[in-house]
Amino acid sequence: MGKYEGDPAWDDVVPIPQDDGEGALAQIAYADEYAEAMGYLRAIVAAKEHSSRVLDLTVEIISMNPAHYTVWLYRASTIFALDHPIQQEIEWVNEVALDNEKNYQIWHHRQLLIDHLYPSISSDPVALQKLANSEIAFLTLMFNSDSKNYHVWSYRQYLVRKLNLFNASEIKSIEALLKVDVRNNSAWSHRFFIVFSNPEYATPGSAATAYDPGIPDALLDCEIEFSKAAIFEAPQNQSPWNYLRGVLRKGGRPLATQECFASEFAKIESEEEVKSSHALDFLADLWNEEGETEKADKALKLLGDKYDPIRKNYWEWRRKALKAA
Amino acid sequence: MSLVSGPGVAGNTSSLPNEIQLAISAHVSYIQSLDTRRDELEYWLTEHLRMNGLYWGLTSLHLLGRPDALPRHETIAFVLSCQKDSGGFGAASGHDAHLLSTVSAVQILVMVDAIDELDSKGKGSEGGKGGVELVGNYIAALQDRMTGTFRGDEFGEEDTRFIYAGFNALSLLHLLHLVDVPLAVLFIESCANFDGGYGVAPGAESHSGQIFTCLAALTIAGRIDMVNKDKLGRWLSERQVEAGGLNGRPEKLEDVCYSWWVAASLTMIGKLHWIDGDKLAKFILSCQDTENGGIADRAGDMVDVFHTVFGLAGLSLLGWEGLEPVDPVYCMPKKITERVLGTRV
Repeated sequence: MGKYEGDPAWDDVVPIPQDDGEGALAQIAYADEYAEAMGYLRAIVAAKEHSSRVLDLTVEIISMNPAHYTVWLYRASTIFALDHPIQQEIEWVNEVALDNEKNYQIWHHRQLLIDHLYPSISSDPVALQKLANSEIAFLTLMFNSDSKNYHVWSYRQYLVRKLNLFNASEIKSIEALLKVDVRNNSAWSHRFFIVFSNPEYATPGSAATAYDPGIPDALLDCEIEFSKAAIFEAPQNQSPWNYLRGVLRKGGRPLATQECFASEFAKIESEEEVKSSHALDFLADLWNEEGETEKADKALKLLGDKYDPIRKNYWEWRRKALKAA
Repeated sequence: MSLVSGPGVAGNTSSLPNEIQLAISAHVSYIQSLDTRRDELEYWLTEHLRMNGLYWGLTSLHLLGRPDALPRHETIAFVLSCQKDSGGFGAASGHDAHLLSTVSAVQILVMVDAIDELDSKGKGSEGGKGGVELVGNYIAALQDRMTGTFRGDEFGEEDTRFIYAGFNALSLLHLLHLVDVPLAVLFIESCANFDGGYGVAPGAESHSGQIFTCLAALTIAGRIDMVNKDKLGRWLSERQVEAGGLNGRPEKLEDVCYSWWVAASLTMIGKLHWIDGDKLAKFILSCQDTENGGIADRAGDMVDVFHTVFGLAGLSLLGWEGLEPVDPVYCMPKKITERVLGTRV
């Protein structure tokens, strides 16, 4: 007898069995439990029942198969129908998320919970701050085991927008992550988002790839210094080089403002002094901008021949583009 | 189609010849064996991906030159059994309809040349037609007319992947006019990042998989012109690591599935030659189990149908002899998309 079959709380429900299998499930005890629970869920969904036993049943199924999309959706609709405390649900979701790092249904579920909770606290700054603190604290825990988890970062951006977290503490928490791993591209990307989408000064609708006159000069200087410090720490790390280019573009500043800096990591006069292929690449673009095509060509040739031969065709194309211009 | 991984382990080549070969017949038997593994728990736990799995398996067989290796009649019957009254398809019978299983269902039906059967026997068909239109209406209703994005289902999860999925299926059904294409294109444009890539939403980190979906959607929309190809090509070509494989983001491990996401993206912007194709082919071949069939994410891991199709599709983009040419936008044989859509530039 199955767990639900013998439970008086489920007496009134006739499970709906799966109809594309041929009894193969019976061979595995664990699969038996799963099949039984799913049979009861199908019956519950068909009857559109929203009750506390549905919450128990979905906990059970999710513990066996957290990737089952429909189960999460049905659980969310039940929680809202029952007015089940959101905070309590979030605490349970935390445990499931920590045990299932690759799962993304959890993050969509969490987003539904926050969307549902938000209107009830939106005019209470203390409650909002409390929510922001507990959410960020939990995300920090998630990042402890995988600081590049795409679903978690996507959720974090949702949260920043929802609770307007374009602030110093958000920047600080990114810096903490970069201190642990300066090559964490996700953290660099999030920093760019926080700094350059801040509604306080960023021009509304300004594309990530576009010059924005709204960005204060002091802020640009600060971001340039931040990326430079990271490059000193690890010169062959493409994230801060990309970041530096992005900042210069946002500020409408030419690459040439960083010639001295980039030359620290690559000298075309002596090939032995190249500490970073990204520096060579940066210099090639810079020299091209300044009309020094011969120097640019030499840098690109070095990249194709010696420092990044796997992409030789790309560097050769860049050389040709120099000559065509 | 089972999504159960293994039994094979990649790199299982007892005697490695100088020139590694693609184990075509082993891969065909591997795919054919997948649906017989119903006694494994994983078969049931991956039920929510079954329609996608069938698409991955069938596409693999087509690329391997064995389109008839799965029974056509049963394939059609399975797909139609997963359709809901709304016109959308679930991942398996009894599952709710979802955009991702719907696009797989449409791709499968196109591959086995059964769109007429969908029209005459699918939900909403009356007097031998109407089935196709209902599917189109289901997908079109998932578009948010304020933002241009698509939801995956009626519950509202949004993602650039879904724009691609919607465009893919609608264009194959010749029903793209049912949605607001320019608005969706604007949304994709807003996902462009400072490093040249695209993310899942505005401001989200660049990711090779998301880039693929953005470029494919723009290609279908006829708007690939809005991409900064040089900047994006630079970022995409940087995904190749020393071992020859490609990663999805900077400082991440290479993985066979990115052989598809990255190489198809490079192909769509005309820059595939910017990476070292020979090294990439060698990397993919080193991830196959040449005895039991199947391809894994990396050598030493268990094979699965997802990595098998994207490994084969990557090799096909590289022009590997013995494989059918693949369409970089649809991940289906080129001759099939040409049959349906005509020859595209």
